[in-house]
Amino acid sequence: MVEFDRSAFIGKFQEEAQDLLQRLNEGVIQLEMDPGNRELIDQMMRDAHTVKGSSRMVGLIEISDIAHRLEDFMIRVREGEMKYTPDMSDYFFEALDAIVYLAENAGKDIKLEIDLDALQTRLSALAAGGAEAAAGTPETTVATETAVPAPAPPAESDSSEEYDDGDEAVDDLEDVHDDETSGDGVSRQAQREDSLKAKVQPTIRVKTAQIDTLLNLVSEVVIAQIKDEQRTVELRQAANDLTDIWQAWLRLKSLLNSVPVDDDGMMLSIMDEVSTLDGYLVDRRRAQTGFLKGYNDDVSRTSIVVTDLQEQGMRLRMLPVSTVFQAFPRAMRDLARSFKKDVELVLEGGDTELDKKVLEEINDPLVHIMRNAVDHGLEPAADRVELGKPAKGTIRMSARQEGDHIVIEISDDGRGIDPDKVRAAAVRKGYISESEASALTDREATYLIFEKGFSTAAIITEISGRGVGMDVVREFIVEKLKGSLDVQSEMGKGTTFRLTIPLTLAIIRALMLRVGDRMYALPTASVEETLRVDPSEIIKIEGREVIRRQRRTVPLVRLTDILGVPGHGFEGAKIPIATIGFSGHRMGFIVDALVGEQQIVIKTLGSHLHKVVNVAGVTILGAGEVVPILNVPDLMDNARHRSGQRTYGQMTAEKESSGPRRVLICEDSFTTRELERSIFEAAGYEVEVAMDGAQGLQKLREGLEPDAVITDVQMPNMTGFQLTRAIKNDPQLLNIPVIIVTSLERDEEKAEGIEAGAEAYITKSVFNQDTLLDTVERLIR
Amino acid sequence: MAEIVERGLVPGSSIAATADEVLARRADSLAHEATGEDVGDSVGILLFRLGDEWYAVYVSDVREIYQEYAITPIPCVPEFILGVVNIRGEIISVMDVAKLMRLGQLTSDIALAPAIVIQNEECTTAIVVDEIGDILDIPREGVEPPLSVMDKVSAEFIAGSVYWESRLIGLVNIDRILEPIVANS
Repeated sequence: MVEFDRSAFIGKFQEEAQDLLQRLNEGVIQLEMDPGNRELIDQMMRDAHTVKGSSRMVGLIEISDIAHRLEDFMIRVREGEMKYTPDMSDYFFEALDAIVYLAENAGKDIKLEIDLDALQTRLSALAAGGAEAAAGTPETTVATETAVPAPAPPAESDSSEEYDDGDEAVDDLEDVHDDETSGDGVSRQAQREDSLKAKVQPTIRVKTAQIDTLLNLVSEVVIAQIKDEQRTVELRQAANDLTDIWQAWLRLKSLLNSVPVDDDGMMLSIMDEVSTLDGYLVDRRRAQTGFLKGYNDDVSRTSIVVTDLQEQGMRLRMLPVSTVFQAFPRAMRDLARSFKKDVELVLEGGDTELDKKVLEEINDPLVHIMRNAVDHGLEPAADRVELGKPAKGTIRMSARQEGDHIVIEISDDGRGIDPDKVRAAAVRKGYISESEASALTDREATYLIFEKGFSTAAIITEISGRGVGMDVVREFIVEKLKGSLDVQSEMGKGTTFRLTIPLTLAIIRALMLRVGDRMYALPTASVEETLRVDPSEIIKIEGREVIRRQRRTVPLVRLTDILGVPGHGFEGAKIPIATIGFSGHRMGFIVDALVGEQQIVIKTLGSHLHKVVNVAGVTILGAGEVVPILNVPDLMDNARHRSGQRTYGQMTAEKESSGPRRVLICEDSFTTRELERSIFEAAGYEVEVAMDGAQGLQKLREGLEPDAVITDVQMPNMTGFQLTRAIKNDPQLLNIPVIIVTSLERDEEKAEGIEAGAEAYITKSVFNQDTLLDTVERLIR
Repeated sequence: MAEIVERGLVPGSSIAATADEVLARRADSLAHEATGEDVGDSVGILLFRLGDEWYAVYVSDVREIYQEYAITPIPCVPEFILGVVNIRGEIISVMDVAKLMRLGQLTSDIALAPAIVIQNEECTTAIVVDEIGDILDIPREGVEPPLSVMDKVSAEFIAGSVYWESRLIGLVNIDRILEPIVANS
């Protein structure tokens, strides 16, 4: 477990705690007047819980302990085991004051002036036996009474007063110090300064919407600046033209000078005009050069400022990755318990900064990958020991910046992905044929896990919501975060998922392409290479055009065909191609021209065009030109469809044509059975029912071939777990997905369901029609 | 009250229901007049021509009129989406509303035709028209339910009708026009 620089987080904690403590203080007063207010009690319990959690996170164990007692106490009040009486408030306030004191002095090496042990004892007694019990414990020490800076007598203060009183509170505290630490002038001075510093918040809170507005304006400035830069190029060109004109003029002048002067005065007046014009031109040229130089200087100066402005603007929205990471140790603990694994989570690079928008989106994919690692990656402890690995598995999550990207790696030291198993599963599910499977390299086979709807032996539980597959995770990362997700795995050694995402969502690098009269932008993150190949390098295999790259065959498609737009064809002898790597597939897109790579500002297609196939958004180029940004997952899907590779869409179509799907419902409760029956029948399924596991198994053995089995756990004759085991141990039946629907939601029971071999585990508390249908549809392939 | 009237009629409501609604509104607006409050008994509509026919939108739904714009075509969108335009940094879709309403071709060159930027709470789009007409102030009760016999245009796109200079003007149902476009695979 990596040690964060806790001091940075203590500040955050102080900020957060200030609000929470404030609310708790107010809560106590409100509770005195309205002791039965459930909402308030819940709120206070949650607040105490939050203080407990976040103080523990930053290592302020004393605060956490006190908050823990308060939480316990509130739980008892909430559960009705105890009634809140006003004489309890004193203890509550004492605890809150102690927390305030501890929080303010957090991270400083001072002698505690509170008898924490006595406080803890009192709070425990309070939680156990009410105010009377607490009163029986040893009296508060003098130091506590005086040293704690009471945040003003809360009973008669509203929030603003209390805030104003803050400085006085510091003074009070100082007075105490004066009394007690007399003699040591230097340290007292230092303490005074520290205390004062703690009161001056170096941060302000701003609504994220305000920052977004600001950043939108900044991106407009950036666009304007790019325009200006292009204009300087045009101006320089104009200046060159002017120089050519000047040269031509000089030649004309010298020619005129060599003309012999006649007497009629005609030539003289011409020469007069020439010298006037010459004067104008010299002036004009000097002014022009001066203007151009000045303008150039201004633009490049502004350019630096605008770049800074953009960078600093973006930084406003940057937060350390640890804001997401910090919730993971807890999540990991829960995951480890529910999968009965022993796991150590190592977090690295928590201080890497990332756009808040990206951070908000990144939590779910990370949790999903982490869950995947615990569930599928790590072997059970016994197996690990047998393999000579430490019983405790390690999952490492690290973040670092690479150029304008952030790389987050999640690796486990588990069994690794078995390419043969993946191949077999892919063949079984009909994604690829046997021969195609054997033609895949191990690495390519591994990438099959990103295939739509593909998930090996996945148990669907509510931890992952609805059993989201890696395909969804990957698509999300590519589509929403404009990043990429890769996997590397070594059998027996472990698996590493590598997430590469741009620092910000607002600006990405893109390859500009031209097709016909139009430009398109392709996010560079997905582009593998750009090529200009000789037509002779294109080979036709089974009527499809391919090229060979590094001993691999890369199918080619025309971007015009995918987008349905007219093209002009390429210029010159070589064919411009951009190859894209996605989901372990490579595809070459033939374009009319590869224009170049540049940074672009991402904009949506506007409020009216919600979702357009193949187009992720637009960008505005310097000249104000609007350019569509292509959507890589869509492109690849359509391209593979076109080049004849099988896709998920085709597969479901085949499936649908093979008649209605059938499910077997094993459930002893009449109500639940009929409810489930109606759900499935309404969705067009054929439904068979069984009253218990034994009957269900009998139906299966008699040759009922359902597409899925939905079973309860507690049933007479044979439980759902027994039924699941029986199905999974029967070679005839083991490919039928089993979905356990139950009210048992304890971790142990879930683990039993997982061990039995069920594909999904839905608890009735989260049960609803959509979850059930989604889960079944996901599993039926 | 005023808000509802200007919003136009509810899409998808039947003619009879719409008629009832109109009657109810009239009753309402009469009631307001009776109380002597100045709630504005007229409403502004902007006329525009599509092919040979004149249509209108409520002025309150119009954001601006836009001319001389460069449309960027977007691939893989329905035929009636001409593309997008960049209006002061904001990306707005441009529609061939005549095509959407199955009225046939615009008579003028789309590249030169004016566009009306219309919006509701969720969406903004620009509709290309042949010609922009006058802004009329019409009495609220002058808005009739759409006639079922209205030529060519199916009722879904028309929210009401107005007589003007003995011509029948269709009030376009902008909520129908502004239905967001989602991918059609």
